[in-house]
Amino acid sequence: MIDGGSTDEALLAGMAVGDQAAAVAFVRRYQRRIFGLAYAMTSDASVAEDVAQEALLRVWRHAPVFDHRRGSVTSWVLTITRNLTIDALRMRRAVPTDPDDFAASAMMSLEHNPEDAIGRGDVSDVMRSALARLPPAQRRAVVLAAVYGRTALEISEEEAIPLGTAKTRIRTGLIRLRAAVEHTRQTEEER
Amino acid sequence: MTEGAHASACDEHADNLVELALGILTGRERASTLAHVDSCPRCAEELEQLAHAADAVVRVAPEIEPPMGFEVRLFSRMGLAEASASYEARHARPLTAARWSKRVPRWVLAGAAAVIALALGLGIGWSMGSRHGGPRPTQGLVGTEIATGDLTANGSTVGSVNTYGGYKPWMVVTLADSSTDGKVTCEVVTDDGVTHEVGSFTATDGYGAWVAPLRVSPQDVRRAEVVSSSGKVIATAALRSVP
Repeated sequence: MIDGGSTDEALLAGMAVGDQAAAVAFVRRYQRRIFGLAYAMTSDASVAEDVAQEALLRVWRHAPVFDHRRGSVTSWVLTITRNLTIDALRMRRAVPTDPDDFAASAMMSLEHNPEDAIGRGDVSDVMRSALARLPPAQRRAVVLAAVYGRTALEISEEEAIPLGTAKTRIRTGLIRLRAAVEHTRQTEEER
Repeated sequence: MTEGAHASACDEHADNLVELALGILTGRERASTLAHVDSCPRCAEELEQLAHAADAVVRVAPEIEPPMGFEVRLFSRMGLAEASASYEARHARPLTAARWSKRVPRWVLAGAAAVIALALGLGIGWSMGSRHGGPRPTQGLVGTEIATGDLTANGSTVGSVNTYGGYKPWMVVTLADSSTDGKVTCEVVTDDGVTHEVGSFTATDGYGAWVAPLRVSPQDVRRAEVVSSSGKVIATAALRSVP
């Protein structure tokens, strides 16, 4: 029976065949993450609610085409939310949250010592910890690229830095984040 | 293709792999890098790992309770109002204080308070000036940035300090490429010359980042110091107001 304890994949499969209880349970599981991402990107509760509603409607409609081989449910749902938020910001010509503030809001939610996050193996906390350890200029460039979808050229223009510097910051930052994620994966495999 | 030529092709596409993983590579470079990845298992694996890290960046966003009525409006659009009521009846439990505090961390309550204040039109949420004409800092979830400063040690920049006002003042301390290792204490010095201990955190191999509530007004803080366990001042940041 589908309930609040079912896996993400089971809830999505339930939604795909029209199970309404699965849809309700899915919404209740993900609404805070989806609204949280949209709000952190926009600092606007009204835009964030519109985006979160649209994201959950799309997940509900497209549940039948979700392919778990291409990634996790969480990644799929948050990518939909991220893309809708970028579109909403563009359509409304709204001012996005500054990347430093976006990163700070993430670091605020890392209440414990960053070392604990790696021990727990929680991807969100591991990434928060790794992001916090990046030099500020690299962190800003990675957030602009990975969250706001800015190209290296756009980052170089917005940050008033040479294109090569923008590329280096993005590359070095993402490689450091990858090392943290891979380290966690290896630690989990060794257990 | 010889092994050497293949390695050279890998080097040529190394930068583009990162941008491809982030979904920000376009045009001819994207086509050329995709073609290389198709024929190179090593770069394909590298791309998969980078894409995994890139996808995980959005996961850092905090969880925030949506505004009141969010579910009602959503379930109505989905035509699930009845299913929602039925689910609620089957899973309803008394919302005790203990369950509430476990489910909602303190910072979420702070964020929710900011959202509520925004909804009430108390002025939180306006945009401020831009440094480079790109995305601008906004008040709201994280409060207004009050002051910032580089942490320096022996004339070199080894990190940064930022203070924020708003609902609950707080500060961020970041150490990068410093020689610090182990437990350190952060202190702030206010206008009246008094030193206030903010708390302790751990730096590993020169790196560390820490967020803490400020118990003094951020407008009164002139200097922040990182102090070793032996009491030696390792790094200092003179704070300047953010316009």
